[in-house]
Amino acid sequence: MYEKTILIKDTDTKREDLTRQAYTQILDFLRHNDQHSRIQVVRVADIGLYDKGLVIKILPEQITYANVKEDDLKRIADAISFNKGRVEDLVYKPKSKQERLVLKNCGRIDPESIDDYIACGGYLGLKQAIELKEDKVIEEIKTSGIRGRGGAGYPTWMKWNFAREVASDQKFVICNADEGDPGAYMDRSILEGDPHAVLEGLIIAAFAVGASKGYFYVRAEYPLAVERINKAIKQAYDCGLLGQNILGSSFGLDLEIRLGAGAFVCGEETALISSIEGKRGTPHPRPPYPSVKGLWGKPTVINNVETLANIPQILLKGGAWFAKIGTATSKGTKVFAVTGKVKNSGLVEIAMGATLREIVMDICGGTLTGKPIKAVQTGGPSGGVIPEHLLDTPVDYENLQKLGSIMGSGGMIVMDDDDCMVDIPKFYLGFCVEESCGKCSPCRIGGFQMLGYLKKITEGAGNINDIAQLKRISYAMQKASLCGLGQTASNPVLSTLKYFEKEYIEHIENKHCPAGKCSHLVTYSVIEEKCKRCGLCFTNCPVSAITGDKEKGYSVIQEKCIKCGKCFEVCKFRAINKK
Amino acid sequence: MEKINIKINGREYKVSSELTILEACQEIGIDIPTLCYLKDLKSEAACSICLVEVKGAKALMRSCVTPVNKGMEVYTNTERVRIARRVNLELLLAGHPKDCLVCDRSDTCELRKISFDLGIREARFPKVSKVELPLDTTSVSIVRDPNKCILCGRCVSVCSSVQSVKAIDFTGRGKNSKITTFFDEGLSNSVCVNCGQCVMVCPTGAITEQNETEGVWKALSCPDKFVITEVAPAVRAAIGEEFGLTAGTLVTSKLVEALRKVGFAKVFDTQFSADLTIMEEGYELISRIKNKGVLPMITSCSPGWIKFAEHFFPGILAHISTCKSPQQMFGAVAKTYYAKKYNIDPRKIVVVSIMPCTAKKFEAKRPEMKSAFNYWKNELKLENKDEFPDVDYVLTTREAARMIREAGINFASLKGEDFDEPLGISTGAAVIFGATGGVMEAALRTAYEVLTGKELEKLDFVSLRGLQGIKTAEIDIEGLKLKVAIASSLSNARKLLEEVESCKSPYAFIEIMTCPGGCLGGGGQPFSLNEETKQKRMEAIYQEDKNKALRKSHQNPAVKALYKDFLKEPLGEKSHYLLHTHYAKRKETPYGTEKA
Amino acid sequence: MVRLTPESLDKISKEPCDKPANWIKVGMSSCGIAAGADEVFNFLSEEVKKRNLNVEVKKCGCQGNCYAEPLVEVSIEGLPSVTYGRVNRDIANKIIEKHVIGKMLVNDCIYNTVD
Repeated sequence: MYEKTILIKDTDTKREDLTRQAYTQILDFLRHNDQHSRIQVVRVADIGLYDKGLVIKILPEQITYANVKEDDLKRIADAISFNKGRVEDLVYKPKSKQERLVLKNCGRIDPESIDDYIACGGYLGLKQAIELKEDKVIEEIKTSGIRGRGGAGYPTWMKWNFAREVASDQKFVICNADEGDPGAYMDRSILEGDPHAVLEGLIIAAFAVGASKGYFYVRAEYPLAVERINKAIKQAYDCGLLGQNILGSSFGLDLEIRLGAGAFVCGEETALISSIEGKRGTPHPRPPYPSVKGLWGKPTVINNVETLANIPQILLKGGAWFAKIGTATSKGTKVFAVTGKVKNSGLVEIAMGATLREIVMDICGGTLTGKPIKAVQTGGPSGGVIPEHLLDTPVDYENLQKLGSIMGSGGMIVMDDDDCMVDIPKFYLGFCVEESCGKCSPCRIGGFQMLGYLKKITEGAGNINDIAQLKRISYAMQKASLCGLGQTASNPVLSTLKYFEKEYIEHIENKHCPAGKCSHLVTYSVIEEKCKRCGLCFTNCPVSAITGDKEKGYSVIQEKCIKCGKCFEVCKFRAINKK
Repeated sequence: MEKINIKINGREYKVSSELTILEACQEIGIDIPTLCYLKDLKSEAACSICLVEVKGAKALMRSCVTPVNKGMEVYTNTERVRIARRVNLELLLAGHPKDCLVCDRSDTCELRKISFDLGIREARFPKVSKVELPLDTTSVSIVRDPNKCILCGRCVSVCSSVQSVKAIDFTGRGKNSKITTFFDEGLSNSVCVNCGQCVMVCPTGAITEQNETEGVWKALSCPDKFVITEVAPAVRAAIGEEFGLTAGTLVTSKLVEALRKVGFAKVFDTQFSADLTIMEEGYELISRIKNKGVLPMITSCSPGWIKFAEHFFPGILAHISTCKSPQQMFGAVAKTYYAKKYNIDPRKIVVVSIMPCTAKKFEAKRPEMKSAFNYWKNELKLENKDEFPDVDYVLTTREAARMIREAGINFASLKGEDFDEPLGISTGAAVIFGATGGVMEAALRTAYEVLTGKELEKLDFVSLRGLQGIKTAEIDIEGLKLKVAIASSLSNARKLLEEVESCKSPYAFIEIMTCPGGCLGGGGQPFSLNEETKQKRMEAIYQEDKNKALRKSHQNPAVKALYKDFLKEPLGEKSHYLLHTHYAKRKETPYGTEKA
Repeated sequence: MVRLTPESLDKISKEPCDKPANWIKVGMSSCGIAAGADEVFNFLSEEVKKRNLNVEVKKCGCQGNCYAEPLVEVSIEGLPSVTYGRVNRDIANKIIEKHVIGKMLVNDCIYNTVD
């Protein structure tokens, strides 16, 4: 049996991988010390640190050494072999780590077992809430300072309090699981990995406001999440955690699942309510706010999945504990779905206040291609881009807004210089146009018009006046749209104009796409030095825009070229230049 | 009703706390521009035109739905508001067809008016979408052009809330949104009752009536056709508005002269056949009361209501009076009695009715409305291919005004002429058909005298008058207490009918008019969203009644002559044949009346 | 399932988490399943059964390292608990033979260690 384990990985990507070499060397040293049957050496695929040279981790002591040089290996081997403690000069202290509060059970318990959940402290938050009584519960939530994680960042305690204060014969709670941002899947993972946490949060919310009926509004595109919530609800009923007299109190709650039907706009509160009522899912003017007059005219609290998943722990450990995490205005942690041109894409949960650079570089390992980061997009279709030079901004609601973006639901897309800053807003705007409910003209027509201008620009037909028109329409959409979809649809455009206006001008004036993304504006040409004259491009060009032969070589006739990219695709020698 | 202090454009005002910002501004003389707003209907706030700036609010607020609150500071005309409003309008104009010059609503289009008023002189946004949506021309009453639709939703609101018919609704999403019938089947294949209330509220030319003026002009220029016209009561109280006269100006004699100048051989009055309807219907009511027939009896002159009943309440069809409407009775009488009396070949007679109504276009084309043809079939040895309807064309008030304008007639300057006889003679009881409660009052004036044998001195049944949606009263006819109810607009009718359906109705006689306010608010009337207009039209109608020498239907000498010489008696065999009709459970086919 | 009372909840929470000594957890959220975790789960369950090993194979949710799915967390008495990533049938087999039976961590496949 091994007493200790040495994990080893070379995290330097710019040079040849030295993991195996170091592995062999350390093993030799251990053999030399006759410790090789006591200490296991393992090469790992990922050690959690990036660009920190050769990294070595010792278990069970949990010591991490970074930037280890070949000469250091013996010292490390000796220190472990003879229990000499740590090699202090090589010890690495991580700056910030992920704090998995919301995701604490995800990946640890069986989501389809209520016993697993209870064994890890499940439903003790609910028990605490019932003991504290409604007013004190809302006090705890207020102390915690938790803000809605769906994107708006509205103080959760206020929403609950408004609903609590309205006298009504019936009140409702709704869990908004209609996560729609492209690339965001935090809510899906929570629902699939720990549905009982969300369920407990919803029951506590219902208790606090006095609701007797609740709904899970889940998008139909999440069948596994629906299945697991269904199981969770059934288990909760069986254990007396739903239905009448929950945990021996006079409080009762009935829950139902309602499926979405493919409309992003139904993630908006009033549209969601319309959808549950069986009407067209279109937003309605506010006031009245749902907390006062929501589902079927009754006070309704709608909370996001991640918000609710935080609630049980706030009740259990106290609002003050939660308020210690994060920044002055944004408390607690946030789950981000980091995707795009990033090495380690996935879910990252980190305390508010961590910088974007920490998240993207330290936790997610930097860009996939090794190219420098161009920008990070946050907040989905309602958000904006944060350029590289601003990546040291601590992440919280206010800071991101100041930069022209939003926290949103937590989607984070990493982009390098192969991503075009006119194409990205075109994609997001296209999404908003597709998903617009069509009720109000600023969003319905404005979005469509803006998309028309962006298409023109990316196809080389842009005009410098188009930028002014984009700004005009954005203004109208922001000020006059009925709901958040329309109000924020222009954010990606405005944000890219703010930081990358040069790229727009390049598209318009020089008909050139610096990222090489906009197919109409890309120039394909043969790189003579690399060309092996195989003629593959010549035979594959659908419009015979390549001329030449095996002796003289080949070249592209620019006037005929339709920029389909086929030659680039088929050339085995990377002899086609795409720019 | 609490009054609170608010500031509008820097000045202090005291307004009721129950108002919206829009209403508060209207009270103090600021008309914030709107497109989708309709008074008394819950606004969906879709058009985004009525924006105002409110101190402390992040976004601009929609004044039509935002209630006032104490200390609010509202600014209706800041630069932010103006820019947002203008860009919005330009966006609406981007996709809108630019054929204003040839549009039915070029004179009355609200979109055009707002663009003009707000000084939009450049529509900067290009038309991006190339899709041309097909027109819905399936209905004989109403035409829908979805390309002109700005999706304000007023038509859907009216059809669903005011009329409870719900024939049209929003479908699709985003830029593919459109308002249409179930699965795009077309209005004639839906439960649309043709009331035209959607036409009345549409701010653009997206919904208009079917144009029958071409057919009428053709008939007028045909030398061997004898083209006569009948004019409905509510038309005369409103058509003046089409010529710049104020609402409620009675222009009866001017209208008669104008129509004659347009070229009609005879200008008759639907009020004549309204009196005839009262005779038949009054006796029908009395007969049902005396012989314990089906009660309550419900009036039948509103074709929108009839189609509504056939679709939604087929079980109560037996309650509806079997009398035809005055329009249809006129057609039948004109092509039989009148044709015979003046020796005119009925096949040459073209009856053109001028109605405040779009549903009348549908009514005229109902297959059973060919009583005259059936009457003459044997005598003239007619075959089915020789079929002709009782009423050939129906023109709305607006179409009639158009024809008068096209003929170059200076309406306001006319001296005025009288209707032709005999089918132009009418009483005051007939005039009031144009207002909600009028048919009831007219019927009671006659029923009273027939039942009691005494003269009715107090002719004005004031309790039956007024623009409220439902009115009820108990009329004392010498000890016989008659409970009556009057509904205008179909959502109110529905309430009464649910009682009838569940056998809980306490009434003996119910009058139902499809349009709010009665015919004076019909789908064919001059456009006006001003509430006062209906009030003025109503006052004009009751004034005309007062001005008439004869005010009870059974006193009409022409009607008396008709019975004496032709029909013999009310509810007699000829009456039954020519003046009564039947109804049937309706399938969703174009006016198919399959027997239940 | 028994109806819970505040007292019974309290009791359960005070009991030690009676985890089995040896277990394998396979990440079975949509991200895992999309990468092929269900096949890995089935394979591991079958092997454990076939070879009569004292290991419980369980499902769990998404750990967060979605780029490395399918993720398999292995906890065998006497060895540190580790998470293997990009697990295919081949690596799953190595997990059984080397880690579970051979009590040695598999090289080049570890993506995370449990702290």
